[in-house]
Amino acid sequence: MPPVIDQEKCTACGVCGEICPLDVIHMEGKEMEVRYPDECWHCGACRQDCPVGAITIEFPWIMLGV
Amino acid sequence: MKTGEVHQIDTDVAVIGGGTAGLNSAMAAAERGLKVLVVEKAMIDRSGAIAGGIDHFHAYLEEGAPWDTRESWLRYVASVSRGGTNMKVHEAVYCDERMAAIERIERIGISMRDPGTGKFYRTQALGQPGPMAINFNGKRLKPTMAREVRRLGCQVLDRVQVTHLCVHEGEFAGFTGFNVRTGELYQVRAKAAVIATGNTNRMFKAQTGNPFNIWYCPAATGDLHRAAFDAGVELANMEYVRLTIVPKGFSAPGFNAFFGMGAYLVNSLGERFAERYHPMGDRGPRSAIIWGALQEVRAGRGPLYMDCRHLTRSDRERLFTTLGYDKDTLPDFLIKKGYNLEGTMIEMTVSEPMQARPSEQCGSGAKIEERCASNLPGLFAAGDASDQMGCLHICVAGGYAAGKAAAGYAEKTKRLHPVDAKERAAEKERVLKPLNRKHGLSYREFEDTVRIITTDHFGPMKTETSLKGALEKLNRLDGAISDLKADNLHELMRVHEAVNIQHVAKITATAALARKETRFPPYHYRTDYPERDDKNFCGLIVVKKSSDGAISTRFEPLTYDI
Repeated sequence: MPPVIDQEKCTACGVCGEICPLDVIHMEGKEMEVRYPDECWHCGACRQDCPVGAITIEFPWIMLGV
Repeated sequence: MKTGEVHQIDTDVAVIGGGTAGLNSAMAAAERGLKVLVVEKAMIDRSGAIAGGIDHFHAYLEEGAPWDTRESWLRYVASVSRGGTNMKVHEAVYCDERMAAIERIERIGISMRDPGTGKFYRTQALGQPGPMAINFNGKRLKPTMAREVRRLGCQVLDRVQVTHLCVHEGEFAGFTGFNVRTGELYQVRAKAAVIATGNTNRMFKAQTGNPFNIWYCPAATGDLHRAAFDAGVELANMEYVRLTIVPKGFSAPGFNAFFGMGAYLVNSLGERFAERYHPMGDRGPRSAIIWGALQEVRAGRGPLYMDCRHLTRSDRERLFTTLGYDKDTLPDFLIKKGYNLEGTMIEMTVSEPMQARPSEQCGSGAKIEERCASNLPGLFAAGDASDQMGCLHICVAGGYAAGKAAAGYAEKTKRLHPVDAKERAAEKERVLKPLNRKHGLSYREFEDTVRIITTDHFGPMKTETSLKGALEKLNRLDGAISDLKADNLHELMRVHEAVNIQHVAKITATAALARKETRFPPYHYRTDYPERDDKNFCGLIVVKKSSDGAISTRFEPLTYDI
């Protein structure tokens, strides 16, 4: 949930999965999967480094709602 | 399936931990022509505390103002870090390396100067006597340092968690680790090594209940505090429990930006309160502001707000941009929470506690002397994993100093030490065991248990009874370690992190028991010893593993001529 990957734009280059400091994003077959969304630190590195701008950052209710 | 496949590597200088300090250590050693291996649990391009960016670098620049001198800096360090900073070490690893550090950052491609004026843009906060924080766009500092490390020809092992240090006849010999994505094992021998794995997080309860929604890097879990301690390395400053103030809902950094740009804290009665607790008020030391915040909330005057309404429009815009340098997604969060630039009162909260340094001018971890050496010959430490370094400015400067020292040691070392095959086999078994358990305890439940114990007993206030109670419970939790299971390699990494956090929590509680005074409250607040006692405790609580495996402590005084 925190990083949301637009699978239409994503080319599965793998960079987001390679660089995530918390090991949250993994390549699953031919797609990039945010496998451990609860362990996201919201550092924004994946969004910065995605070469095609396929990543947006969402915040869950528990962060926005309090 | 590559799990269990063993690779053996020999090198001159190994750097364990590829964050800011580690990468600067690697640069220093590589520039001296040594063979360098960097081992990093994530990937060096975006790992560690400054993964997504950083906005400030503290420095005196001797540009003419009376507060901008070495002497003024040292006086300030002694005032905010008395008893934590070893001034001789600080002068060697920071003061003497500072200008080279700034030049290095700029040379590798990150400008620290304001694009509008071409000059440094500096702000004042944190008890500093003048505007000593250089504000800059550090969003790409981490990948730029990583590129430089590769350009210098360092060998880099990404996605490898180091789990064990090897010692031969009282000297550092090497270490082992495993790849958290492939399960391959790495057995490394090195002539010298620098530990640079950061502080210990995820140890206490966090504001939204998610242990990954925290200020410092949730991947820094005391992995090498634990392994170094087990190998006989002395640690210091481990008793301190650090806290800051963060936006409600998102434990993001920004303290220096907010206060540096002139924002101030108000309580629910609309009162500015920081001056009640320190004469410098909102520009005072972090510990004093946090202490004040805790008291205000306790007295029923919360919630607390960061008041930005009085800032000029252009200052508010600059603040917003700077916050984004320090935490890339914070501006998005503030917008989504409904804050706009006008009329801005941002609700804040005291952050989660963490085991980390009590000031911006020291560290907490492996005890180092002026040449960054630990008590184990061949082993050096840098950054927040050491007792004397932390924060960007010292990590860049001091990381480099540690790399130089490690390189010098490696140059004088003729041969690598042997490593015991039985020791390696036992460690391989220990590391992989949780993968073989079908049923058992999740790392999450184990860690949640640790966090309840630490937060209830020393998060952050404590007494002798509460600390002994914590130790009793943490020691009993040892019995759960053999139940921990991991369904995959990611969980295996988390299992080892959880065990490291629990071990370091014991060290923190033991060190806190030994410090029978209060220092930098609330970073070390003993309800049973609520006053500072410089006569008996101006110095380090040093911890070391004794021969029976227990945590021993001793006191080492620090002197301040200034």
